[in-house]
Amino acid sequence: MSIAPLTSDQTDALQEIVNIAMGQAGDSLARTLDVFVELSVPRIRLVHVSEIIKTVYGMVDDREVVTAVRQSFYDNLNGEAIVLFGSSGCLDLAVLMGYASELSTSGEQELLLDVGNVLIGACIGGIGAQFGVDLSFSPPSIMAERVVLETVLVPEKLPWEYSLLVEVNFGLENSDFKSHLLILMAEDGIESLRQSLERFMAAL
Amino acid sequence: MSTPITIVDDSSLSRKLMIKSLPPGWDVEITQAANGVEALEAYRTGKADVMFLDLTMPVMDGYAVLENLKREGMNSFVIVVSADIQPKAQERVQSLGAMAFIKKPVSTEQVTKILKDYGIL
Repeated sequence: MSIAPLTSDQTDALQEIVNIAMGQAGDSLARTLDVFVELSVPRIRLVHVSEIIKTVYGMVDDREVVTAVRQSFYDNLNGEAIVLFGSSGCLDLAVLMGYASELSTSGEQELLLDVGNVLIGACIGGIGAQFGVDLSFSPPSIMAERVVLETVLVPEKLPWEYSLLVEVNFGLENSDFKSHLLILMAEDGIESLRQSLERFMAAL
Repeated sequence: MSTPITIVDDSSLSRKLMIKSLPPGWDVEITQAANGVEALEAYRTGKADVMFLDLTMPVMDGYAVLENLKREGMNSFVIVVSADIQPKAQERVQSLGAMAFIKKPVSTEQVTKILKDYGIL
């Protein structure tokens, strides 16, 4: 199955919608942590599953081990959201969240699930709000823990051929903390997104 | 005489939304800029008595535009239009000389209120 790429108008609209949504996600995180959150320009690529790791690898510049939190969303828009947390900034995050300075493994998991949930909920929810649709979410789960990036996404295990990949990253001021939010949508998700984008633009 | 305004955003959709949100009847001459470098060019050629400035852009972002404008005397009324809505983002751009802050998605009501508050409209 092949899939038509998004038109440049569709990509531009999606970029702007994601930009607004991540601004809301950044604001949620900033209010949770009471710190300034640095936001990136969202990047959007339509990739074949065989290219997905290379593409993500190109987007995520840090080469340290990562912990990944995933959450799927469905109803009106379908896809997977994954937050990759670099390991070095976790302690900064823990301190800001008011955890004890010695962070246990379960404490770290709980922290990353919480923060992942805040980011994904605000960002994906913000996209849904702009399209005027409600979305449902699965509970967040730890997908991979302290592994090299290449092993987080294994092409053989991904149940689709093409995927729309959206990447945004969040950093904290004066901290090593870095996280990347990836949104992956498979073929059927891309088609419903395309229709939502067309409706959004037609309403302008 | 119409007021020269510049709308700075890397997204053409976002510029379109901004233009649609300008108060009806406001006599303006609109220049569009897709990044900070183009924004400064527009400013230097007198096309930006009022500037609507996005923050997150490739090539040169909105913070750098404000820093440059400050260095060059800031002869423009800059309204930051941003998806980054953190209170500290607002404080930061205001300390860099922006007069006002509009949260995306923009609305005519927001724009009209600011222009009226500052006596531009």
